[in-house]
Amino acid sequence: MLQGLHSLQPINASAAAAGAAPPASPSASSSMRPPKRCDRSGAGASGTAFSASSPSAAEGDDDERRSRKRPNQQADPGESSVAAGARELEVGAATAAGVGEGEAGGLRLLGLLLRCAEAVAMDRLGEARELLPEITELSSPYGSPPERVAAYFAEALHFRIVSSHIGAYPPISAAPTAALPLYRTLALIQNQRIAQAFHAFNSVSPLVKFAHFTANQAISQALEGEESVHVIDLDIMQGLQWPGLFHILASRHGHRIRSIRITGVGSSLDLLEATGRRLSDFAAGLGLAFEFHPLEGKIGHIADLAVFRPQRKEGQVHGRVGREEVTVVNWTQHCLYDVTGSDLGAVQLLRALRPRLVAVVEQDLSHAGGFLERFVEALHYYSAMFDALGEGTAAGAAGEGERHLVERQLLGAEIRNILAVGGPKRTGEAGVGRWGEQLRAAGFHMVSLAGGPAAQQAGLLLGMLPCKGYTLVEEGGCLRLGWKDLSLLTASAWQPSAAPLSSPGEGR
Amino acid sequence: MNMHNLRQLQLHSQASSSHPPDPGDTSAAAAGRWAAKLLRECAAAVAEKDSARIHHLLWMLNELASPYGDREQRLASHFLQALFCRATDSGDRCLRTLTSVAERSRSFESTRRVMLRFQEASPWATFGHVAANGAILEAMEGEPKLHIIDISNTYCTQWPTLLEALATRSDEAPHLRLTVVVTTGAGDSVVREIGRRMERFARLMGVPFEFCMVGALPRLAELREEALKLREDEAVAVNCLGALRRVSTDERGAFVAMLRSLQPKVVTVVEEEADFSAGAGDDFAGCFDECLRFYTLFFEMLEESFAATSNERLALERECARALVGVLACDGDDGAAGGDSERRERATQWCERLVQAFSPAEFSDDVVDDVRALLKRYPAGWSLLPARAEVPGLYLTWKEEPVVWASAWKM
Repeated sequence: MLQGLHSLQPINASAAAAGAAPPASPSASSSMRPPKRCDRSGAGASGTAFSASSPSAAEGDDDERRSRKRPNQQADPGESSVAAGARELEVGAATAAGVGEGEAGGLRLLGLLLRCAEAVAMDRLGEARELLPEITELSSPYGSPPERVAAYFAEALHFRIVSSHIGAYPPISAAPTAALPLYRTLALIQNQRIAQAFHAFNSVSPLVKFAHFTANQAISQALEGEESVHVIDLDIMQGLQWPGLFHILASRHGHRIRSIRITGVGSSLDLLEATGRRLSDFAAGLGLAFEFHPLEGKIGHIADLAVFRPQRKEGQVHGRVGREEVTVVNWTQHCLYDVTGSDLGAVQLLRALRPRLVAVVEQDLSHAGGFLERFVEALHYYSAMFDALGEGTAAGAAGEGERHLVERQLLGAEIRNILAVGGPKRTGEAGVGRWGEQLRAAGFHMVSLAGGPAAQQAGLLLGMLPCKGYTLVEEGGCLRLGWKDLSLLTASAWQPSAAPLSSPGEGR
Repeated sequence: MNMHNLRQLQLHSQASSSHPPDPGDTSAAAAGRWAAKLLRECAAAVAEKDSARIHHLLWMLNELASPYGDREQRLASHFLQALFCRATDSGDRCLRTLTSVAERSRSFESTRRVMLRFQEASPWATFGHVAANGAILEAMEGEPKLHIIDISNTYCTQWPTLLEALATRSDEAPHLRLTVVVTTGAGDSVVREIGRRMERFARLMGVPFEFCMVGALPRLAELREEALKLREDEAVAVNCLGALRRVSTDERGAFVAMLRSLQPKVVTVVEEEADFSAGAGDDFAGCFDECLRFYTLFFEMLEESFAATSNERLALERECARALVGVLACDGDDGAAGGDSERRERATQWCERLVQAFSPAEFSDDVVDDVRALLKRYPAGWSLLPARAEVPGLYLTWKEEPVVWASAWKM
């Protein structure tokens, strides 16, 4: 048959592209992170798609930065700790779940998914391919939450298996095919579809509003007394966040904001310019002097700070519009596509910029780590997400259609990226685990959001929701939005320390 | 603080709704039938054994495909699976797994629900039922004892209408014996349950009825006259709906001959209009093209006939995916190491086989009228086409394309 392809060895699940540092292999327990104490006895993720148990209050957590549940780690050295944890998840869910076909079906799916993921992690791709058809058959994107989660995880596993066989990165062929331009067009269309789905996401879930409102509050606090601000949005998309900030700044007492400049980073100049036009309209409506600067590309690849200077004021080092302009950076993280290009590059840029504030909202989901670890975490995380979306959906075809669009275009895309070789960054670069830690290591210190306007506003936001499963926790200066105690998003704010910032590589 | 919050919320939703980004429908249209383009290129690369190109295209398809996306993405996904199986020489194994999973997971209820929903949504299946029933009733006019040998995968959804017709047509309903021939896919217990329901229904209709089953045939080609336990005084009708294609290509001639040995008064043959017989080795690119043509049509039809979030449509698409693995990625013609084939042939090809043993029995005007009346109950897009001179019978067309062919044959 086709010997060339048939003899191709599947790419090792724990290896990224040639030349890049591979993420930690789950089968070598020595490279695992230190074990985390399980927060609840026995059961797996609370109130999530696969378990019928009701959430119990979180006990103490030995990790001050995370309230996320981690499976208990077995002492058995012969078995990978994550695999053992995964098995315990299964057992835990079995003890916690009640009887009934719905739960039994969910359990079976969970068991199959974990076995399949383990097989992929161990490079037993043939075995994984044997398990997938049953998972697929039992799952459906139009069914119950466990069935929907399973559908997208199965799809992502299939994607992973195929790419493990044929190579995770576009093969370098001597004669590129005629299909390549078509592919690029389609990739662009896909990005547009993601943008559209994001709007739907905004209406079916409070996550986007939480991220935006909290960051805006932190930013406006940092801008107290200032007249001229430059906002750098590392992934501006449709710029949904900024009209709210315009309003806050335009209507505050005391020093009125005189000018706002936004540098929006994104992948398509067309989309960026459209965003810019929209934001200009909003600003004009509020009587604010506004300037938009599109920056096509990835933030981690930018080496020259000059791109951030105002365009028109030539001969001036920092754009002085009346008083000195204050720079703030905003970043809402996701797994839809690679935003930074190079995480390290992005951090270095932030160090060099020395912005007044860096507002970060990150998913409580590690993008680094080996395949099985990412898989189990993602299963927890997205089970909660799907549960939350399920309860928040307006009845009727329109509501369900919107939810389906969000699940398919956004969550499904994220799941696929997380399970892909190398994780969501797909570049092979060892990604950053937690941005907060990274910023701290680079010489930033956290500005606490606890107890302040940001926290209050987030509380009010949750209170306005009809669906009552969301939780808000203040922890270590961060604000965490979760679904039934599983933390989904963490908002934090950072300032450069007064002391000179540490050089790259230190404090890592 | 409250006011701020409210205002922010308002602005947020304003920003969100005032300019929902253009989903690129225009550029999507420009990209057109991209799945077909990429898939064809990949198939050509496979046929030419060009490893590098196969690699490249499989990679692209993998990135773009999704079994839950739009039609192009779904087509890409199912064809990708078949191409991937072929490229990694895992077609037989994959098909075996897919088949066994389907058998295990399908219950009587779920199968019946999918089938009934399909019949409600589209005349694809019911077209053949109405035509075949009409031909059978006319051929069996006046016969006191009927024996219908049902070789189809329609789980007897065809027969209630026929039973009604038998009950109402004449003063004294004839005696009907129904033998259902089952290959392992269906599951014996499922068929027995169906049989019980048929018996109840026949009692209701007042039609003397007997239900028989020839079960667990590993392959349809192994069906023998003896298994059917024919009786002297019965008039035999053989109903082959989507049956002939399940026989492996090189055994089809013998199968037709076997049918003749049953001495039937009428044989009804309904098949989907496509030619997958080119075989895995001979003309892969040609076979692939034909699969692409047919399944694109079928998926388009499913999309227009079902709601977007239909689990039944999903089940039907998954069946197609399975068939594709069988046709495109398996060497042997027997499907999963001895199971059913899926190699459809066109009406002209079936006719060449059937005329060896039978002669055509044209559908009467009454039957054609019945079929026309049936089509009126469905949305627009469906039509009838009388077959051409050398090919008897009737075509069902979808958007002017012939998709299903129905015919009747006599000794």
